Amino acid sequence: MSVSANDSRKVSLRAFLAKYSVLIAFAAIVIFFAVASPTFLTPANLFNVLVNNVVMLAIVALGLTIVISSGGIDLSVGVSVDMASMVFVMLLAAGYSGVVGVGGGLGAALIVGILNAILITRLNISPFLATLGVLFIGQSTQQLATSGGQPIYLTSGYASDQFNAIARTALFGVPTPVILLIVVTVAVHILLHRSVFGRYVQAMGAQPGVAWYSGIRVPRELSMVHVLCALLAGVTGILLSATVKSYVPLSGNAFLLDAIGATFIGTTLSRERKPSVIGTLLGVLLLAIVKNGLLLVGWNFYWQQVGIGVLVFLVLAVSFGLRRATH
Amino acid sequence: MSATTLHTEAGASDETRATGKSAGRRFATLVVRLGAIAAFAAIMAYFVVFAPGFTSSFNLINVVEQSAILGVLAYGMTSVIIGGGSDVTEGGIDLSIAANMGLCAAVYATLLSMGYGDFLSVLAAIGVGMAVGALNALAVVGLGILPLLATLAVLNVAAGMELTLTQNTVVGASSPLLGFLVSGSFLGISALAWALIVFSAIIITIIHGTAFGLRLYAVGGHPEAARAAGLSVPFYVSFTYVQSGFCAAVASVLTVSRLSASTPGSGELLLSVLAAALLGTVFSRRFVPTMGGTLLSVLFIGLLANGFQLLNVSSYWVNGVQGALILLVVAITSFARGSEGSQ
Repeated sequence: MSVSANDSRKVSLRAFLAKYSVLIAFAAIVIFFAVASPTFLTPANLFNVLVNNVVMLAIVALGLTIVISSGGIDLSVGVSVDMASMVFVMLLAAGYSGVVGVGGGLGAALIVGILNAILITRLNISPFLATLGVLFIGQSTQQLATSGGQPIYLTSGYASDQFNAIARTALFGVPTPVILLIVVTVAVHILLHRSVFGRYVQAMGAQPGVAWYSGIRVPRELSMVHVLCALLAGVTGILLSATVKSYVPLSGNAFLLDAIGATFIGTTLSRERKPSVIGTLLGVLLLAIVKNGLLLVGWNFYWQQVGIGVLVFLVLAVSFGLRRATH
Repeated sequence: MSATTLHTEAGASDETRATGKSAGRRFATLVVRLGAIAAFAAIMAYFVVFAPGFTSSFNLINVVEQSAILGVLAYGMTSVIIGGGSDVTEGGIDLSIAANMGLCAAVYATLLSMGYGDFLSVLAAIGVGMAVGALNALAVVGLGILPLLATLAVLNVAAGMELTLTQNTVVGASSPLLGFLVSGSFLGISALAWALIVFSAIIITIIHGTAFGLRLYAVGGHPEAARAAGLSVPFYVSFTYVQSGFCAAVASVLTVSRLSASTPGSGELLLSVLAAALLGTVFSRRFVPTMGGTLLSVLFIGLLANGFQLLNVSSYWVNGVQGALILLVVAITSFARGSEGSQ
């Protein structure tokens, strides 16, 4: 009797650990860096992490969360980031206003999204391959448009106000990018977890065949999913150019692997391994804090990458390993 | 579990849909397949006619040489996809393969520059490559982490270790083996080209000529059935990841010989490797990944870049055309696959 009670307690402890392993790891990491570096927990540093490391990655990752919820993937998010950034900067350089620039940038991202949607829903190409193809085409397009990858810089003379309006202003003391992130987070949360569209998306992700048979217009919803993802990546592209005041070709790809990692780290929160807005945000925060913390502790850039890889590996190992033991 | 039920469901519905008009569709498939191959042939014919020197043996051997690195890596990726199944999010994939090659190249070049001989240095590179592969295997098979995720984490570790080892610099290297690979030749074919030919022969024999290879397909195609038939699924899947690490190590020796150094940025090869492995499925009768198909698509990608170069078309076009071709081929394949019934 006592043995089985002991066993069940062990199992429930395991289940608890499996469920909250990411949160526990997150807390442990924060405590570690708080002890190891006096500057880590200062408001200035946390603010810096939030504005510079979290916001842009989080917006891309939230877009990807929608796609991954639908059972797909978008390898071309970097292209959406780059195209929006490119068109935005080119329009401003040509003397157009910020509104036109933002509209043009989002339009460019929209085209990428529509292209993905057509390839996936009309031509029945798997999302992985369709977006891989678009990624290649997007890279070529940028190289051709910038004679091989020359960055476009905007001198502060013109259009700097437009940049500042996006990247450097604040509303009630909260920087605009952070407000943007909050708006996007709430919107994606409602869309994915509280709306009919979200329920369709989840259904397509869980059981595509059943979703089709139960009358969900899969092509239409799937198109929407990919267009939304590309648009959100486009928002990040505009934020990126507004922050660095330039367009650097092919720089968006840096978001891809981190965004995939963050979204899947987030899936460990749910028993069914479903992506969620909260989970993705947690994944993004985890990556951003580790990057920042390792920097403060004095690791150079190269070791940071090793550290992040090892850490993500450990979090996944604990989460997946414990869950497997529970089943 | 849910994924498996899903597959069978989807397969069954496809089958019922296909039986009705199977004869007509089969004809359509044939036309489509021939169309895909004809498109490849047309591009090649264009190069033959209009690109000066395209068919010279010197040029063709050059293409084979240039394809050697991509080819060896693509073999590693293909075997992982064969053994893990081709489902995109749950199936086998090794995102770490290109970064692993970078790490092995760094280890190899660093050891050579420290004065260790070829034997020890190559051994160390192969050891590191297979260790990274074993780490992938441990994560995927032992811990049950999704391959996409596990190899993504390992990618970061391998890329970071390469950077710490080389401090993001070029590490020059020279050795008898490298000298032989660069300038040696046999029957008028250079050593680097021979490396691809021999490696291809070995791997095609293993995967398509032995019971082992057949079992690997069984494990990837239907793990439950393979398990029921008494195959050790974990062993076969682990093997593919370790073998992928081995391929990365072999490719690292080739890349060091071509560049006479280990250079940063090898991770960029990843997408081309994926493209080659996935594009190769169009050359197989049932649209599954095969080593021969991978070899053909690697050579095709090589010939494409080469033809563009000879025609003086900007190299910036190559990626885009490659992407468009992937889309074209896959769209055709998915159309044709509709008539194939299951899978």
